[in-house]
Amino acid sequence: MKKLPAFKYLKYLIWLGPMLMIAGVSAGVVSGGWTAVPIALILVGLALIGVGLIVMGRVDMGGQPGAWNQRSLETGANALVTTLAVLAILGLINFLGAKYVWRVDLTENQQFTLSPQTQNVVRNLQEPVKVWVFDKQQNPQDRALLENYRRAGNKFSFEYVDPQAELGLAKQFEAKNFGDVVLELQPNNKRKQFVQTVSDRDRLSEAKLTNGLEQILSDRRANVYFLQGHGERPLEAGQPGAMSQAVKLLGEKNLVAKPLTLAASKEFPQDAAAVVIAGPQKPLLDGEVQALKNYLQRGGHLLLMVDPTNTDPKLDTLLKDWGITLDKRVAIDGSGGGKLINLGPADAIVTRYGDHPITKELQGNLSFFSLARPVQSTSVKDVKETPLLFTSDNSWAESNLQTQPLEFNPPADLQGPLVLGIALEKQTAPKSRLVVIGNSTFATDGLFDQVVNGDVFLNSVRWLEQPEQSTLSIRPKDTKNRRINLTAQQANLSSLLALILLPLLGFGTAAYVWWRRR
Amino acid sequence: MTNLFTSLRTVAANIIAIYRRELQSYFVSPLAYLVAGIFWLLAGFFFVAILLGPEGLIQQAAVNEQQAQQLGIPMPPVDVAYRFLQLYLGVLSSLALFILPILSMGLYAEERKRRTLELLATSPVTNWAVAVGKLLAVVTFFVTLILPLMVYQAIALSASNPPMSPAVMLSGHLGLILLAAAILSLGMFISSLTESTILAAIFTFALVLFLWVIDLIAKSAGGWLGDALAHLSLLKHYNNLVQGVIDSSSLLVFASFIFLGIFLTAQSIDALRFQRS
Repeated sequence: MKKLPAFKYLKYLIWLGPMLMIAGVSAGVVSGGWTAVPIALILVGLALIGVGLIVMGRVDMGGQPGAWNQRSLETGANALVTTLAVLAILGLINFLGAKYVWRVDLTENQQFTLSPQTQNVVRNLQEPVKVWVFDKQQNPQDRALLENYRRAGNKFSFEYVDPQAELGLAKQFEAKNFGDVVLELQPNNKRKQFVQTVSDRDRLSEAKLTNGLEQILSDRRANVYFLQGHGERPLEAGQPGAMSQAVKLLGEKNLVAKPLTLAASKEFPQDAAAVVIAGPQKPLLDGEVQALKNYLQRGGHLLLMVDPTNTDPKLDTLLKDWGITLDKRVAIDGSGGGKLINLGPADAIVTRYGDHPITKELQGNLSFFSLARPVQSTSVKDVKETPLLFTSDNSWAESNLQTQPLEFNPPADLQGPLVLGIALEKQTAPKSRLVVIGNSTFATDGLFDQVVNGDVFLNSVRWLEQPEQSTLSIRPKDTKNRRINLTAQQANLSSLLALILLPLLGFGTAAYVWWRRR
Repeated sequence: MTNLFTSLRTVAANIIAIYRRELQSYFVSPLAYLVAGIFWLLAGFFFVAILLGPEGLIQQAAVNEQQAQQLGIPMPPVDVAYRFLQLYLGVLSSLALFILPILSMGLYAEERKRRTLELLATSPVTNWAVAVGKLLAVVTFFVTLILPLMVYQAIALSASNPPMSPAVMLSGHLGLILLAAAILSLGMFISSLTESTILAAIFTFALVLFLWVIDLIAKSAGGWLGDALAHLSLLKHYNNLVQGVIDSSSLLVFASFIFLGIFLTAQSIDALRFQRS
């Protein structure tokens, strides 16, 4: 074969490779999207480097590039085909390997493994569900969690979307903040479900995502009845002390709020998932109390929110069965901690919560209860009681609001911390549930959406109306609290080893070998 | 059957012979010790800085604890031992990024320069055996670089309270060695293409850097292409092992890179053999 004069310049091709790659990467970065052009540039650049290296190798070898005879061309073609075949096989193996993954989590609290409940939910998805994350950044931790979900079931997918670039999508899913996570039941956007807003402080949580999944999957619409007729909080907006915000949020969780007047109807509604009595001002009739007692005995669920009132709501006979007494005094917060957010001493502040599904995620957050009465309990057989809301150490229950200034005067007053809410559950079937909170103002319009007031109400209703608490019980994976307590000796030994002995060994031997070779 | 057995034995003997020859060359080379010394110095410096230094994790945790106590709020839990492993193995992998091309650059390029490659290429030893032997030797050398670091890490981690099981530390270091083997294997191929060791080192570095950040490119590419590219990312699979997750697909990716490097090296030397004959 004839010697090609241009061949020896071919080796300079190699320098074109990096240039093309840099051009490709810059094009991709500047345009903000990895379309065909930048990727093609990068790939061509890579290929050129490869070709250039091979050509250069041949030129270097003998200095006689003309070694391209028939035979070497043939072997070259053979090598190319084999290489391509091997690449294809490796690609296929890895494709299958990525599909059928076997994983072992060596971390002590199984940090990177989904809880059995989650795995169950994701594995049994009937219709495709997609998670949309409206964020510019992709946090690796969140992504890893989402990938774990995707591995758990093939009907699950997720996508990160830049809400500023994809305004239409953001609007369609009502994403308002960076980091909004929205679930979509596919196909065709059948249902949407907001999960949470992720941020540096608040990373994507398995409990919230799985709860969201369960909610979007359930067709169940449950009725929550609000007792009326004794000056309870009205449900419609516009009236003073109404609970329209709470009703609206319940609606988003597939819970329909309906008014209930026991005096007018003989029958107790059969479809009640839960009954709420929010702030009665007048006493209930004996017949009404009896109807509620019957309802609870049948396995009903009741949320009782009672403000300190001048007239007794006459609920004592009902509460006696559960070992609950409503204190007549008013909780006073003497810490002055509420001054910063315009709260007075009669606004009881709660930052400590009981260990219960209702308040599990609220720990450390603030909620407040204006004019609240403490709730006292004595243990009753077969009833499990969990105090939910604790006031601060500097609080007390005041017996006389008329004398100013408000002071703690034992023994008429009760020393805090006070319990403002209790959750109770019968341990024998039928498992009825009762939540008693000594306040109802926290759930009224204007206060409902402040701090975590709304969550206290919403979680209570959700705990009551859901008999099966499978996913609410997913515990967040706490990091283990671990320190390294090195003794001075250990610290010295390891630093000595790391900084002096080892490097000295390396450099010393290098010098010795070099000296001996000379 | 006996034939197959004998040929397998010859191949194994050949691999071992190459392996010993290569390994010996490291122990008489001042450059290898120099590289080891620099690596140990840097690794030791980062160890002290990350864990024991004034800005180190132990000090940080103590300061945070004190502050929390003063404010009277509970301190969020911190796993100092786990955090240390994450940070330190991250640093070690970055150091390896610079060290590994230097280790792999001479594997073939040096032989080409010294004209000893023709001897190898035309010897009865198969190219595969040569490549495997060389790779084994250089990986062994890297492991000897890593082992002493594990000693002082173990001293530090043994003082953790509550005690920590060594599983995560071991899987992290396994990840480091697999990562190194993959990079060295690809570096060996690049080294077989050129006579210039410097060029081999530079291109290996470029290739490894590319595989390192392919994750970022993949993220913005999206779709199946993005997923495929992201799956090539060495960093992603390394992080799996460092975090303490043994993922079969990650092991497979490392194995594929190692195999690919050996295969391409054998191909490249094969081409050379034909060209010369």
